[in-house]
Amino acid sequence: MIRLPHLFPAIARRAAPAWALMALAGSVTAQAAEEPARRMGLNPPASSYGQMFDDLFMMITALISGAFVIVLFMLLVPVIRDRDRKWGDGTGKPSHKASFDHGRSLHDKRFTAVVSIIVFFVLDASVLYVTMKDLREGFWNIPAPDTPDVVKVEVLAQQWAWNFRLPGTDGEFGTADDILTLNDMVVSVNRPVQLNMTAKDVIHSLFLPDMRLKRDVNPGAINEAWFEPITVGTYDILCAELCGFAHYQMHAKVRVLSEADFDAWVQEASILALAAHDESDTEAQWAWDWKE
Amino acid sequence: MSSDHIHPEPTTFLRKHVFSVDHKVIAKQFMWFGLIWLLIGGIMAMMIRWQLASPGTPFPVLGPLLFPATGGVVDPASYNMLFTMHGTIMIFLGLTPLLIGSFGNWCIPLMIGARDMIFPLLNCLSFWTLMLGGLVGFYSLFVPLGATEAGWTGYPPLSTTVGTQGTGETYWAVAVFLIGASSIMGGINYMATIIRLRAPGMTWGKLPLTVWGLMFTSVLNVLFIPVIGSAMLLLISDRVFGTSFYEPASIMSGGVGGDPILYQHLFWIFGHPEVYILILPAWGYCCDMLSFFSRKPAFGYRVSVGAMGAVTVLSALVYGHHMFTTGMSAMLGESFMLLTMIISVPGEILFFNWLHTIWRGSIRMTTPMLFSLGLIFVFGLGGLTGIYLATIGTDIFLHDTYFVVGHFHLTMAASALFGVFAGTYFWFPKMFGRMMSERLGKIHFWGTIVTLTIVFCTMFVSGYAGMPRRYYDHTSAAYLQDLQWLNKITTHSALLLGAFQLIFAWNFIKSRWWGKLASENPWEVGTLDWSTPTPVPHYNFKQIPTVVTGPHEFSNPVLGEDRDWISQTEELPAGA
Repeated sequence: MIRLPHLFPAIARRAAPAWALMALAGSVTAQAAEEPARRMGLNPPASSYGQMFDDLFMMITALISGAFVIVLFMLLVPVIRDRDRKWGDGTGKPSHKASFDHGRSLHDKRFTAVVSIIVFFVLDASVLYVTMKDLREGFWNIPAPDTPDVVKVEVLAQQWAWNFRLPGTDGEFGTADDILTLNDMVVSVNRPVQLNMTAKDVIHSLFLPDMRLKRDVNPGAINEAWFEPITVGTYDILCAELCGFAHYQMHAKVRVLSEADFDAWVQEASILALAAHDESDTEAQWAWDWKE
Repeated sequence: MSSDHIHPEPTTFLRKHVFSVDHKVIAKQFMWFGLIWLLIGGIMAMMIRWQLASPGTPFPVLGPLLFPATGGVVDPASYNMLFTMHGTIMIFLGLTPLLIGSFGNWCIPLMIGARDMIFPLLNCLSFWTLMLGGLVGFYSLFVPLGATEAGWTGYPPLSTTVGTQGTGETYWAVAVFLIGASSIMGGINYMATIIRLRAPGMTWGKLPLTVWGLMFTSVLNVLFIPVIGSAMLLLISDRVFGTSFYEPASIMSGGVGGDPILYQHLFWIFGHPEVYILILPAWGYCCDMLSFFSRKPAFGYRVSVGAMGAVTVLSALVYGHHMFTTGMSAMLGESFMLLTMIISVPGEILFFNWLHTIWRGSIRMTTPMLFSLGLIFVFGLGGLTGIYLATIGTDIFLHDTYFVVGHFHLTMAASALFGVFAGTYFWFPKMFGRMMSERLGKIHFWGTIVTLTIVFCTMFVSGYAGMPRRYYDHTSAAYLQDLQWLNKITTHSALLLGAFQLIFAWNFIKSRWWGKLASENPWEVGTLDWSTPTPVPHYNFKQIPTVVTGPHEFSNPVLGEDRDWISQTEELPAGA
């Protein structure tokens, strides 16, 4: 049998972990250098509540980094300081004796309790408080039914496309001037966009990374969501719930127009929709009564 | 009391090595079974990562054999099959048999001083039901109309005939059901054994923490596996008999019918406890081993048991955090968020106790100790990043991205796997009578922890940048193209991580047959399993031992200068 020790000189053997690390670092660097376009984090938020996510993420990052540093410290100090340096040398004597402590004194129990309470309030309760406040202002703050200027969109997801329906100039869904688009959601900047979503076949999930929005789109039920774009531009829509083998290709765009452009677009698209309306095209008659 | 039921020593090969009722043989069967599936699931992970880093290029060597139609390239349907089966295999056929089936069977009777499990035949049935489940799962890959491809979570309607035509999905559900039945049998057996067969004097407060971890895991298995079993039965019914438990009517035609969200509730009522089913035994081994190799008592024994118990109670009450984006009401979401935050407290207490156990110890840096220390590191990374996902405000964005993949791999996969490795290196000398190579073990440890940290921490970065999981090709979307460099780093580290596991495989095989012969108690610990001769005789204990001392009396000053440990059967010397 071939044994590793005979193949390499002793120094090379001892350094085996170091060799492996160097090989790894080399391959990672070489690979990373090949790729020209690189992004590290997120694009800036494009919705009114997007900044809340970014801030909360950074807050949690700061808190858990602190916690992790403490854990690492408590882990590395004994590993370096309290190591039995004589273990395995054949004498059977340790370099030092371990302290004897079951950690079951009243003092230890109090210490455990105090640390737990501190951890809960610093790490958990603080985050809980901030996110509840954020959610009430942001994600769960769906515009009230009588809010003016709300852009209402019905979303019908299917394998593997996004259908969008805007009510057109009459403001009613299920009429002849409804604007239907495929994989292209058109909305206005600075106006809340309210979504009513369902799916034709399996579960999908509407994911707008730049808006910091994700909501599942379930067949047989209507899910609501909202966002308010704050910058004009074109942003990506991805499907985030596995929906079959072309799941990865289920992309769409959301086009955020200026308010004037959006109004003009609705006017024009409604007229075109009215002209192209075909009652016999049952595939296109999928609207439902708006759910507030 | 516990000497009456023991079965006679088998004489035929079949009764001795195949349909054995001896817990030691069954433990080894579970171990080989789990390791083989770990290898298969690991190769699947390599294929997934290969496809993600270099989409459309053939997977070397195995690719042309497995996917001849595409010349070795993983096609989208096969890709979905791969990550579905990777998850199913790793959880149900890799980690569960190793952590619970193998070490549970090995440790429980030996550590509590029993001659076997209380129901030896049920134990045998549990293994062979698992084998049947594994075979059905494997068969599901080769059936007409294709294998399963709905993810290991198998959400309907994608997993019903609406989304997946292939009968592989039905066989997958049958396999999960059978594997679940096997776990329930094991769980009942473990609980009854721990309750009924403890040696005289082995009070609840003298049990090694390993046994406590296995006890809580068994409770969860028995309580929550039936839930996934029922979910699978309804799914099979939908697929085979045309019912519509999970298939709704479309909203345009009135929207009545079944409810796909019902499945998600059933799945996660089981699914969240499942992650604790996998981690609790690993925590138990870690608690014990940190004490064994620091030559110090486990810090806060009762508090650790209480913390594991609290996790067991809370485990099913937090499951809703998997479903924040489904359209769950705000109040329900907030309740699940609060409960999830609360479960971090017992987790933190365990960290507190682990870190205090090693503090001012006299640490023997053996391979099992390295993996136990590594568990603290990887579980720290995984546990702390859980806060992002428990928080609805951040989870809305991070759900179903690579952030989640990184998080759950570090907690339930890497930590559980570190428990498996620590356990294997630790109990190997007693199981097989030979030592595993320490040098190879240390190379394996360092290689694993470095590459694994790079793999999953890179996933945090790409997940935060918005990369969705379960995508066949991230270069398909403009939004994701500039994140491809992160995919490459992950894949390169993952391939190296896979390569380092070959060192473990080699070490395992080499040591099994050619390793250095082990002494009876190479680690110098006092639990009952190490008081038996090596190899362990058929009856384990000639005389059922009487337990008088706790499992962690290391470095007790009354033991004197020459010795720092005492067997659980020995009385502590007076004079302290």
